[in-house]
Amino acid sequence: MKKQLGFYVDAKRCIGCFTCAMACKNQYHQENGVVWRQVYALKTEIYPHHERAFYSLACNHCQHPTCLEVCPVNAYAKREDGIVVHDQEKCIGCGNCIRSCPYGAPRYNPALKKAEKCSLCWQRIDAGLAPACVQSCPTSALSLIDLSTFDEPNAVQYPPGYPRMEKLNPSTRFRQAELPTIYRRDAQ
Amino acid sequence: MSAMELPLVVFTLLSQLAIGLVLVGAIRQFAGDGPAGTGAPGLRREWLLAAGLLAAGLVASLFHLGHPGGAPRAITHLATAWLSREVLVLGLLLAAILAAALTGLGRGLVGLCAALGLGALLVQGMTYAPPSFPALHNGLPFVFFAVTAVTLGAGAAAWLAPDSRQGLIAGILTVGLAVGMVVFLVVPCVWLSGGTVMRETAQAYLASPLYWTHVVLGLALPLALVLKAGRIPALAPVLMLVGAVCGRIVFYLDTVHTAANLGGLY
Repeated sequence: MKKQLGFYVDAKRCIGCFTCAMACKNQYHQENGVVWRQVYALKTEIYPHHERAFYSLACNHCQHPTCLEVCPVNAYAKREDGIVVHDQEKCIGCGNCIRSCPYGAPRYNPALKKAEKCSLCWQRIDAGLAPACVQSCPTSALSLIDLSTFDEPNAVQYPPGYPRMEKLNPSTRFRQAELPTIYRRDAQ
Repeated sequence: MSAMELPLVVFTLLSQLAIGLVLVGAIRQFAGDGPAGTGAPGLRREWLLAAGLLAAGLVASLFHLGHPGGAPRAITHLATAWLSREVLVLGLLLAAILAAALTGLGRGLVGLCAALGLGALLVQGMTYAPPSFPALHNGLPFVFFAVTAVTLGAGAAAWLAPDSRQGLIAGILTVGLAVGMVVFLVVPCVWLSGGTVMRETAQAYLASPLYWTHVVLGLALPLALVLKAGRIPALAPVLMLVGAVCGRIVFYLDTVHTAANLGGLY
């Protein structure tokens, strides 16, 4: 398998603190309302405890990215390491990638009138650094993985609460949240 | 499509109206009207109108771009981008319509226009069938757009065609409206038995007054008027246009995106 970088989201460790999203914001200073990484609380239909389990999601740097396929001006490219990058110089702001990505990764920048998305901090990676979100996570719930060497038997690609898009083959992997142990005062 | 994008509403409706005029015009040509200036003097006017509507639609589409000046580059990714193919096919269609209208509506060019029109509907449908909209990630956008093209095209043609051709056009419109009624009533009901996002789309459609305006005002009422009168009353195309605008707004506004449900059931 070719090198394919992606995120490993450990929902068992994630405490929903949004530090990853803030680190992304600090790194790139996106316009107000534009977020490249978002922390989603699992709904109680999936995880019974309200706002106690989370997925921190950004671009999935899919093997077959819809954004790249649908962009009419070739503004997207996939690097050798699997990172999907968006070239804002080419973007004409048609919004087709925003409509088409099932994970909502590309966002519209109303100031530039162009799309933009998580770049997996490729400049930092090229400099030997971890992505800002990965570096900032206080519980090590986010990590950078290479799917060609990734070997975590308990990892899943499509956990509940995350759309199953086999054709796209998203590169994000998850460890699922576990239910807490309940201790009762009157337990025998 | 989480927000109403008016330029795209205008663009898709005008382009489909133009395609409908071309398709109805082609049927009339092959049904015996012959080249413009012989069997049907007004036919060239319809084709020029179709070209004007398509050109106006293409201009309207520029207004949804953040950078309209980059629009010519939108045909640079024909390999995989349906949007690039849509721009190319509609451009070719516009050129073919103008060529047909200005050279006497020969059968070859008319047939080419009809084929390009059908191709444009298919390509346009695929542009709006991304995986992010489970309810539309199939052939339905093409079906929706084809119904719109046939009904609006026949309605507009009825305004311009001579009395001798009103029966043929009324027949086309009756079939189009009947098919449209079935499609637009059945599809949301089928969506109700789909996954969460598809079901939410159905619920949003069925709860929308604009959806029912489309079905009742844009399809059912014109169908009743045509069946009662045996021809196309002048009011029917107006009702169909109003209904189509409402229906297209629902299409853009109420189709639910998968990302809207991240963290929930799919």
